[in-house]
Amino acid sequence: MSKLLLIVSLLLSTLPTHAQRDTLITITTSAGLQFDQKRLVIKPNSRLRLIFRNKDDMAHNLVVTRPNSRLRVVEFALALGNKGPAQHHVPIIDDVLAHTVSVEPGNIDSLVVTLPEGAYPFVCTYPGHGSVMYGIIYATNEPKRLPPLNDDLNIPNPDRIAEASHQHHQPANHPYALTLPAVYRTFMPDCGPAAIAVGLPGSEGGQSYVFDAGQCRLRYAWSGGFVDNAEQWDGKGQRLTKIVGEIYYRDTGGFPWKIGSGTQQAPQFKGYQLVNRYPEFRYSINGVEIRELIKPLSTGRGLVRTFAFSPTKQAITLITTAQPGIRLRPSIGQLKNGEVRLPAGTRQFTLTMSK
Amino acid sequence: MLASLLLSALLTVFPTDTISDYYEVETIPTPPGLVAETGGLSFLPDGRMAACFHRGEVMLYNPKTKIWKLFAEGLHDPLGVIAINNRELLVIQRPELTRLTDTNGDGLADKYETVTDQFGMSGNYHEFAFGPVRDAKGNIYISLNTASNGAGIRDEVRGQYDALGRQGRMYACVPYRGWVMQLTPDGKLKPYACGFRSPNGLGFDAQGRLFVTDNQGDWLGTSKLFHVEEGKFYGHPTSLVWRPGFPDVDPLTLSVKSLDSMRTVESIAFPHELMAHSPTQIVLDNTGGKFGPFANQLFVGDMDFAHLLRILPDEVDGQIQGACVPFYSKAGSKGVAMRIGNNRLAFAPDGSLYLGQTDHGWLGAKGIQRLRYKAGSGVPLDIMAMKLTPNGFNLTFTQPIDEATARDLTNYNFRSYYYEYHRAYGSPQMDVQAVPVSSIQLSADRKTVSLTLGGLKSNRIYELTLGNLQANNGQKKLMNHLVCYTLNRLMK
Repeated sequence: MSKLLLIVSLLLSTLPTHAQRDTLITITTSAGLQFDQKRLVIKPNSRLRLIFRNKDDMAHNLVVTRPNSRLRVVEFALALGNKGPAQHHVPIIDDVLAHTVSVEPGNIDSLVVTLPEGAYPFVCTYPGHGSVMYGIIYATNEPKRLPPLNDDLNIPNPDRIAEASHQHHQPANHPYALTLPAVYRTFMPDCGPAAIAVGLPGSEGGQSYVFDAGQCRLRYAWSGGFVDNAEQWDGKGQRLTKIVGEIYYRDTGGFPWKIGSGTQQAPQFKGYQLVNRYPEFRYSINGVEIRELIKPLSTGRGLVRTFAFSPTKQAITLITTAQPGIRLRPSIGQLKNGEVRLPAGTRQFTLTMSK
Repeated sequence: MLASLLLSALLTVFPTDTISDYYEVETIPTPPGLVAETGGLSFLPDGRMAACFHRGEVMLYNPKTKIWKLFAEGLHDPLGVIAINNRELLVIQRPELTRLTDTNGDGLADKYETVTDQFGMSGNYHEFAFGPVRDAKGNIYISLNTASNGAGIRDEVRGQYDALGRQGRMYACVPYRGWVMQLTPDGKLKPYACGFRSPNGLGFDAQGRLFVTDNQGDWLGTSKLFHVEEGKFYGHPTSLVWRPGFPDVDPLTLSVKSLDSMRTVESIAFPHELMAHSPTQIVLDNTGGKFGPFANQLFVGDMDFAHLLRILPDEVDGQIQGACVPFYSKAGSKGVAMRIGNNRLAFAPDGSLYLGQTDHGWLGAKGIQRLRYKAGSGVPLDIMAMKLTPNGFNLTFTQPIDEATARDLTNYNFRSYYYEYHRAYGSPQMDVQAVPVSSIQLSADRKTVSLTLGGLKSNRIYELTLGNLQANNGQKKLMNHLVCYTLNRLMK
């Protein structure tokens, strides 16, 4: 009996000790394609019931996204094309955490979502609305640490946009000024724990990407800045490094290379060589060593990925997963059903990814 | 006025004798903008020092010019470095052991080569990676911290996940957490020994034997120094899930008794709150006397105490055991005190000891200090060795002891106790007993005192508080009064 009690008490002790917290917030519209509240602050892990009351003269929805994913969700919504209205202009992707239906003028709908600590955009994904009609939900225990409203890059403020592009220089975090390209191995969101964040030079804050050293592949890319390590560096190192900017590309597939036709081993990460500060990654699979150098497109959002292969008699196939709004251009061969078969003997290959 | 004049006159005649008369500590300025949470220190063959820091920088310091230069950047919480040559370093960071090479000679590493990443990561903050150290045969050792239930794990982990390793306060749900790993010269990473909780210090003694420190907590009643040998289990259970052939069970379901029978006990325990809270790196004094009289002894750092520990080894029937004694306790000079947070230790070619400090979200400090033996300052009066005898201990000192103080029974106060091996966090001192000294013998050179104690027992700590032993007719005072001997095995 006492043993049973012990087991029960052990089980109980592993349950979260804090009580479920409920938060109810009503949000409505204001003139000029805006939500009336642009910044909501709640406790982490509370159950948020968000009521959306549409007082505007046109239809809207309200979509809560994963951190830094507003633009990507907006782009996927746009890519729905004429399928959009049937699904309330909400794309079916992981970045969408919760959403309302299309809310006609004068109507009301609500959503329920539980958010761990973080900054979660909310946005109307109606075509054309997403770039102006949005806001942010902060799930935080430390509301005092939030930036002043006027400096908050997560909420719309037309006066600030021109200025913001000059503000992506890192504060003095090191005994030197950070120079792009730059590499940080750190804990990044939406990636395995062996993540490598790379910031690339460019206009308007440049572009950045995350390479997963555990899986040997590009995971996602964003524009408008690099990273904020403040919370990761503070304390013991549990908290994730934050993305500065907007994610425009996620690779929702897997390892991009198939070598030969047999069993594919797990790729093995070998490190990187800095080439003019750009990391050239090295990894091997099925006896072939692959080097990958990623550079920004010279104009616009996009990446140029240059691969080099060690000599092999095995067939090499690139496997991609289509991402709406993203164009892939192989330097050799053709993209068919998401695959590019490289001609035998190919030693170098470039894949241009553009938005 | 007269009294103070008299006092200063007395002080001139009988200067107080402290460790600061023999050793000097200085603070090494670090470059502006550097948050000097020091993860590793190592000297290059050319005399420069490599240091790595929490925010991912690896920097080189020239002690002659006092100039710092950046060597590498962007590493994930690097916690150890060894220099291979003037252009090549091995650095351990959270995800891997990395070889940093300056291939073009411009002073900056351009090649970041993964030497090994064949271990798991759950994303839990406590999964630090420590090391590397290299033995005479070219094997490299690293150690992998367990995760803490102070936080969870990520949705995506690296390596195989095993829910049986997810239980308990400190856990090992991905491979080789709680292990010391050996990287052989042919590049294979072997799980070498398990049962560790937070093995933040690795080092070799003068005989080349591998030692590892571990931190008080669950299953560690107090912090410890282990002699690590292949295949052995050192007591913290969770890492057993990754032991080849271990049954498919949560190790915490084994009885304490059976875990106790499986484990190899520590060589030397560091009594909590007296000696250590959180022991760090182990270094061998290989300076041949440049660092004072303790050549070939091991020094160990600690996060919370403004002292180092000095190890006094003993061996009984092949069982390594022995004592620890504080070194440079709460000392300092010219207004500079030794700080706490001494995470990393490295001897410079000139025989001085560099101290790399960190806090890393815990107690500690930031920065780098240097501890130097003052040439010509003589030899401080301190304990040199403590050896078990069939009925007590032989204490050997650095100097002949003044006979009257040496023969005074009240100068030797022993207590003995043990720490419980159990799942709970830490342990009180158990079964504390005063142990009377029944007789004293003094060697002819007056350096060795032989103490006879009543009823020695194994698997206990003998904590000795020394009184005011003196040397050189009272001019030399004893530097440290506390020494703790871990008695694993009695002499036959």
